Amino acid sequence: MDQLFDVSLFNSTLRMVAPILLAALGGAICARAGVFNVALEGWMLTAAFAAIVGNHFFHNVWLAVLFAVACVTVLALMFAVLTVHLNANVIVVGLAFNFLATGLTAYGLFAVFGVKGSFYDRNMVGLPRWNIPLLKDIPFVGDVLSGHSPLVYLAFGLAFALQFYLFRTVWGFRLLAAGEHPAAAASVGLRVNRIRIGAILLSGMLCGLAGAQLSLGQVTLFTENMTAGRGFIALVASMLGQNNPLGVMLASLLFGLTDAFGIRLQGFSLPAQFTMMVPYVMTLAAMFFFKDRAYLRQSGRIGDR
Amino acid sequence: MRPAGSDPRGWRKRFLPEALRKRFRLKTSRPERLRLAGTLRGLLHPLAAVLLGLIAGAIAILAVGGSVVETYVEMWKGAFGSFYYVTTTLARATPIMLVGLGVALAFRAGFFNLGAEGQMLLGALCAAIAGLYLPGPPEWRTIAALVAGVAAGAAWSLLAGWLDLKFRLNLLITTLLLNYIAGLFCSYVVAFPLKDTSGSSGMAQTEMLEKAVWLPKLFPGMILHAGFVFAVVLTLLLFLFLRHTVKGYELRMLGSNPLFAVYGGVRRGALLAIAMLASGGFAGLAGAAEVLGTQYRYIDNALTSPGYAWSGIMAALLAGSHPLGTAAAAILLAALQTGGLGVERNTDVPLEIASVIQATLILFVSARFTLALIRRRKARAADGPVV
Amino acid sequence: MLLRMEGITKVYGGVTANAGVDFTLREGEVHALVGENGAGKTTLMRILYGEEQPTSGTIRLRGREVSFRSPDDAIRAGIGMVHQHFMLFPSFTVAENIVIGREPASGVVFDRRKAAEEVRRLSAEYGMPVDPWRRVADCPVGVQQRVEILKVLYRGADIIILDEPSAVLTPLEVRELLGVIRGLADRGKSVILITHKLQEVMDAADRITVLRDGKVTGTFAAADTNAEELSRLMVGRDLVPLDKRPASPGEAVLEVRDLTIRGGRGKARPVLDRVSFIVRAGEIVGVAGVSGNGQTELVQAIAGLRTVDEGAILLAGHDITGETARRIRERGLAHIPEDRYAWGAAAGESVADNAAMGHTARFGRGGVLLRGRIRRAVEGWVAAYGIRAGSLEAKAGHLSGGNLQKLIVARELAHGTPLVIAAEPTRGVDVGAMETIHRELVRRRDEGGAVLLVSSELTEILKLSDRILVMYEGRIVGELAAEEATEESISLLMTGGTRHAAGGV
Repeated sequence: MDQLFDVSLFNSTLRMVAPILLAALGGAICARAGVFNVALEGWMLTAAFAAIVGNHFFHNVWLAVLFAVACVTVLALMFAVLTVHLNANVIVVGLAFNFLATGLTAYGLFAVFGVKGSFYDRNMVGLPRWNIPLLKDIPFVGDVLSGHSPLVYLAFGLAFALQFYLFRTVWGFRLLAAGEHPAAAASVGLRVNRIRIGAILLSGMLCGLAGAQLSLGQVTLFTENMTAGRGFIALVASMLGQNNPLGVMLASLLFGLTDAFGIRLQGFSLPAQFTMMVPYVMTLAAMFFFKDRAYLRQSGRIGDR
Repeated sequence: MRPAGSDPRGWRKRFLPEALRKRFRLKTSRPERLRLAGTLRGLLHPLAAVLLGLIAGAIAILAVGGSVVETYVEMWKGAFGSFYYVTTTLARATPIMLVGLGVALAFRAGFFNLGAEGQMLLGALCAAIAGLYLPGPPEWRTIAALVAGVAAGAAWSLLAGWLDLKFRLNLLITTLLLNYIAGLFCSYVVAFPLKDTSGSSGMAQTEMLEKAVWLPKLFPGMILHAGFVFAVVLTLLLFLFLRHTVKGYELRMLGSNPLFAVYGGVRRGALLAIAMLASGGFAGLAGAAEVLGTQYRYIDNALTSPGYAWSGIMAALLAGSHPLGTAAAAILLAALQTGGLGVERNTDVPLEIASVIQATLILFVSARFTLALIRRRKARAADGPVV
Repeated sequence: MLLRMEGITKVYGGVTANAGVDFTLREGEVHALVGENGAGKTTLMRILYGEEQPTSGTIRLRGREVSFRSPDDAIRAGIGMVHQHFMLFPSFTVAENIVIGREPASGVVFDRRKAAEEVRRLSAEYGMPVDPWRRVADCPVGVQQRVEILKVLYRGADIIILDEPSAVLTPLEVRELLGVIRGLADRGKSVILITHKLQEVMDAADRITVLRDGKVTGTFAAADTNAEELSRLMVGRDLVPLDKRPASPGEAVLEVRDLTIRGGRGKARPVLDRVSFIVRAGEIVGVAGVSGNGQTELVQAIAGLRTVDEGAILLAGHDITGETARRIRERGLAHIPEDRYAWGAAAGESVADNAAMGHTARFGRGGVLLRGRIRRAVEGWVAAYGIRAGSLEAKAGHLSGGNLQKLIVARELAHGTPLVIAAEPTRGVDVGAMETIHRELVRRRDEGGAVLLVSSELTEILKLSDRILVMYEGRIVGELAAEEATEESISLLMTGGTRHAAGGV
């Protein structure tokens, strides 16, 4: 049994959690501001592609990350204008952006690199591995926590930072207010629309980082549809974490762990498909355990439980 | 809405001489003319969307150094250039239409069923299994396979519906998750237990169905099969259902104003069940028809990589969940895709140009919803608040 | 004079909400603004608070003319408003709710401890004890209201507008509130009290202004007037008598027994408090009252759109308590809803589709919708009610308010059910449509139907009802036969007085 749960399992968990965590943080912030953002999947995919493109042209992994973030922020701005300013149905627009992402990335793959299906450049330098000086020497813990890409550390750092932001700063407080009761927030002079747009842009940037980690974080590779539903798992993780950044972090770790566990099980000649199913089944099970207040019910009588 | 007192026929007075006006006087009644005007106005948006999509495509073509005119000519030829291509386009449209119709039904009632892909895959797999392993005369087995496909898709869809009804789980998320679970399950079945080990290809697929079980082709030598007839018939049936039956009426009202529906005595639970069963059944049928009519076996990824289910969802969104519009949108999307293949064959532009145009279409449509909303908001703002 | 509003006129489209209203306020004064629903009180205060702009008229604050483009401007000028429906954040603490928008901070960090201190100081200064760390959702309604008032004071308001503050309070809480108001005035704040509860007005106000139909009908010092005079000034208008045969009521069709809906968490007062009454065949029972006294919930409970906590409802002898809306309709209910756009119609659908709701048994056979039958029925309604709708396929949302309401009334009355509930049937409807709807309701009664009319329009109640019930704070506080009802007596009951206290009327 200890072959199943070893150091590399936890190490790869952290690596695989990062994209989900980043996107989930974005989803949580949007939810806290009152926006149900289903476009995380498409944004992550676009960012993953943009990161590869950026890396290819700038030959600099940091510029690539910045480029990915910039691209997705533009998309997020469009999304914000459509949903906040023009009041479009947030789900339809979100789906539209997901379709847009698959289409544009597939076309872009050919337009930019002249290939179909996936792009892999052996010479492309991905995100570096940071071996944290003192940490790496601690047995077990060091091997788990050290040696990750900077974006992984950034992801966990951001979880703490956003927790502080939401619950300790004035601006975070106002964001919570805008999401909890927009009319009341407006009545005290808060600019609810601006807060929502800000939240959407922030989630765009976070998805930008998520996508960059996905395509540059281990093997520098872009495959069509490489997000494979991670954006939706992120959405569920944020719901499971009660839209609380630290809760979201724990939920994302849970999903990442089951994901890595699933891959590990493959080594025991269990069919890959069942192990890959584990995160999705877990997510379904998790949905039983939280109250989705955002899911409005306009069906029954007033007062019905 | 025109200001009171404007002359609706004024433009004719100004632009057509007397004699011509007499010739072209519409011999229709006012309500009919209103309906005609409404339909024309309704077509304006989709046409504008297509135009914008083509413009976006043009930009993308120029970005890879292709010729816009040449590309679009090849696209047209690839979609409709000859009888062969027309039938190929319609064959590709068949699963998109079927999925789109089911999704349109669910969306019309206000239920965001995004599980069409999983339902389609399960339907396809069960149809293949039924077709391969059930006893009996071949015609029976074809029918049984179709029924199995419908049932599988319907059941999988109903599962999500039940989770919504009983446990209040968000339908959009559950249907999406069930997609992945169904897809992985089908992948497994066809890679291990039911894998066809006879051939040399080693591909993950079932054995081939015997020829007698296949759905008949509509034209000799063309791949268009009876599934297309199902799609056309079901389009008309769905249209009649929504417009002319009591249940269809209740469904539409539930989607339009849920409070109004509750007030009038409509039961959401029953309609949720109907909508999920039907939309899942349609998706299952789409998968079954592909297996029985085109591929003759269940092949891993053969239904997901062309993106039939998501195209079907796109078609429903483009058409505002109207049955006839969804069918038309499905054919349009299929045409873009087969046209894209033609472009790939004959130019340096890749087939993914179709995805770019499709994506622009859907984005424009989501913006279209907004324009209507802006108009409504402006109209309401003209009245004052309740004193 | 601290505040002068002169010649305020506000016109919306064809409706004049305020017509040349003059309103003044002194420092340290409690000035009550009274009137019925639709009299213009809320509009006037929205103008003062910057939520609306007057069509004409001036506002002078401390002698200088001012114009408020938004609530922010009004707040900066020292005007604060406590809305009828609280604008609080349930999951936040009392202190957080009070300081939001002007949070004490050290750098970017929200200093919650300092906020609590400031709140404690403020609440001590004005004699309104609150616990700064308690979650607002856990506080009773009276405390929530104190939070709203403290919020306004925290922003430095000198003029405080209270819109129907006692609407949701228990009698004890009302007494505390009136004490608080007096306390504020004693400390130099000026309070504008919008209310329809005349007893409170007499207890707490220094001056009273009565509005009716957008005009001021009187401004008095409280000592110079009484509740009867005020209520007469609120409602006095010429009645257009309807030619109506006297009713001959038959069997009881609707029986409501001890119907109770408890208040939400934090509210001690029930929404409906042991409501009991009967409506017979062939009579119109009018439920009078200012909106917000439980009428909406009563109608929803009978129609099956809201659950009840205690009591029973019987329709034509069948117990329908807790039944689904569908079953209740089948048992014999037709319902003209209070909010036609929210419940009564689907604005994006055609007139034909809207007409069919609830009638699918009649318009459908074997599951098929018979459009011909619908068309014929609607054409009949169009002729009988004078509905102007363009075509059957026109969207219901494009109809004018009056025409849509006529369609809904026609639809519901066409069932010929034993009971019809008409909730605010002529709200927002033009005079012509109003006459038509009234005529048809009386016709239904003459045919033997039972009609429960719920309306905040006193003229409508008096015109149509055979018997009148008055609702106040979730209870039936009075029942009068049409012959013995007068505007004054009903108005008194509607505003919390009693017939017996009327003395001399």
